[in-house]
Amino acid sequence: MNLTAQAVNILQASTVLLLSPFLAGVLARAKAWTESRTGPSILQPYYDLRKYLRKETLLPSESGVVFRVAPFLAFGAYLLISVVVPVITPYPIPFASTVDFLGGGLLFGLAGTLTILAAIDAGSNYSALGASRTVSFAAFAEPTLIVVFFAVAVITGTNSPYVTNNLLASSYSAYLSPTHLLVTAAFFLLLLAETGKLPVESAGLMEFGMLEDGRIYEHSGRLLGLFRWNGWLKQFLLCSVFLNVFLIPWGLFAEPTLLGAVANIGILLLKLLLLVLILVILEATVAKVRLFKIRDFLALSFSLAVLSIFAYAVLGVP
Amino acid sequence: MIALVGVGILLTALYLQAESFVDPLILGIAFQSFLLGVLLGWLAWTEHSLDLAVLAGLAVAVRAIFIPFVLRRQIRAFRWRVRERHASHRVTGHALAAVAVAIIAWFVFQQTLAPAFPVVGGALPFVLLLQGLLMLSTRANTLVQVMGYLEEENAVVYAGALFAQGFPLFVEVVVFLDVLGVVLVGVILSIQRDVTGTPEGSPLEDLTG
Repeated sequence: MNLTAQAVNILQASTVLLLSPFLAGVLARAKAWTESRTGPSILQPYYDLRKYLRKETLLPSESGVVFRVAPFLAFGAYLLISVVVPVITPYPIPFASTVDFLGGGLLFGLAGTLTILAAIDAGSNYSALGASRTVSFAAFAEPTLIVVFFAVAVITGTNSPYVTNNLLASSYSAYLSPTHLLVTAAFFLLLLAETGKLPVESAGLMEFGMLEDGRIYEHSGRLLGLFRWNGWLKQFLLCSVFLNVFLIPWGLFAEPTLLGAVANIGILLLKLLLLVLILVILEATVAKVRLFKIRDFLALSFSLAVLSIFAYAVLGVP
Repeated sequence: MIALVGVGILLTALYLQAESFVDPLILGIAFQSFLLGVLLGWLAWTEHSLDLAVLAGLAVAVRAIFIPFVLRRQIRAFRWRVRERHASHRVTGHALAAVAVAIIAWFVFQQTLAPAFPVVGGALPFVLLLQGLLMLSTRANTLVQVMGYLEEENAVVYAGALFAQGFPLFVEVVVFLDVLGVVLVGVILSIQRDVTGTPEGSPLEDLTG
């Protein structure tokens, strides 16, 4: 492993860690604009994070060791994902070979499971309710994720996101193939569900239909801060994968230099701004579906993912 | 182009299976017919066939505009028809059943008809035919069943366009007029049933708890 590769590795992890709250801030501010509000500063998530990390952590008397340890383990899982998926480079960085697409999905699943276990370990009915809800819907979301990976695998004959990125960036016929279009649509619906966007979830603590916040109801102080950061990391990583692998596979500099990687951060930010625009338009125009209709939404996502493989079987990839 | 339109038609079929409200269903079937018209128009362009061009125009005029217009008038006249009763709780089931039927239809096509029709996307008309049958068998609302029938007819025209580059124009026009007649008769029967009730309806309802 040469020095440049190591530096790019560290740069990518730092980018994900430091810019994930920024993406959340931009999303909140843009959403406020569509509601004719000034909205919070785009740096608000950083202020929140500083506040959480300084505050005293209170532990429920019924809670166990999982309650305390899970936020750190989930944070570690997201940190590992941040160096194995294409974020600021279209070429594999040294850690990328540790897991493939499926491995990345399993790491996302591990982090989610740890959060659910922490919610159950809190000994509170409210957080257990949040955990129960999440699991109910995850039962529909996880198969979609797996089928999306299958679709990616059949397009490229491999399960590496970097190979997929290169194939789609170099072949318009592969990009415009029904298989890729359907799998992109399926992944986008999954992205909305996993990051708590409308029409699935209207994020906030004052809502009967809350999913993400329901699980961390009993956490406070540093543990809550870590869970919040985990949520932003998950959002940033999923958005990066969606942009770099599925929607806009072009644009990133392919030269394996530190300067190229730094320039790619700016390109990634531009791509993210476009995605923010799409998400904000969507949030301003669609209504939230009822809680028990979320599974219909996820079933649609699953159906699209299966149809993408079906389209490959019937039509093939040009 | 043909592949993309084919997948578009398949997606509309999936949407039709999952939708509970009748008005969006009518718009869905109209869009599916419009896509079919686009496919026929494309084939007419590439094959330089006047018959296919006329057929494309007919598909858009009759199936995408006139029949949806007639069906939507029914919705306006009888507001309670706006929703398929009891179907709303089964959206997930309907969507998954549609996907399962599509896979089974493709498998059957590969085992039986594929050698006779070696065309890329040749299974899609067969899949669409079974989607229409599925819609006919799972829905209770007469208007929705009429749309299932329309979907089957779309599948037949799709198959004709893909495998035979269009049947003789006379045959196609007769089929289009037949479908129009079936839709009108279906609408009249549906009104009559709603106004007078079915003879076997009351005893069955008496047995309901």
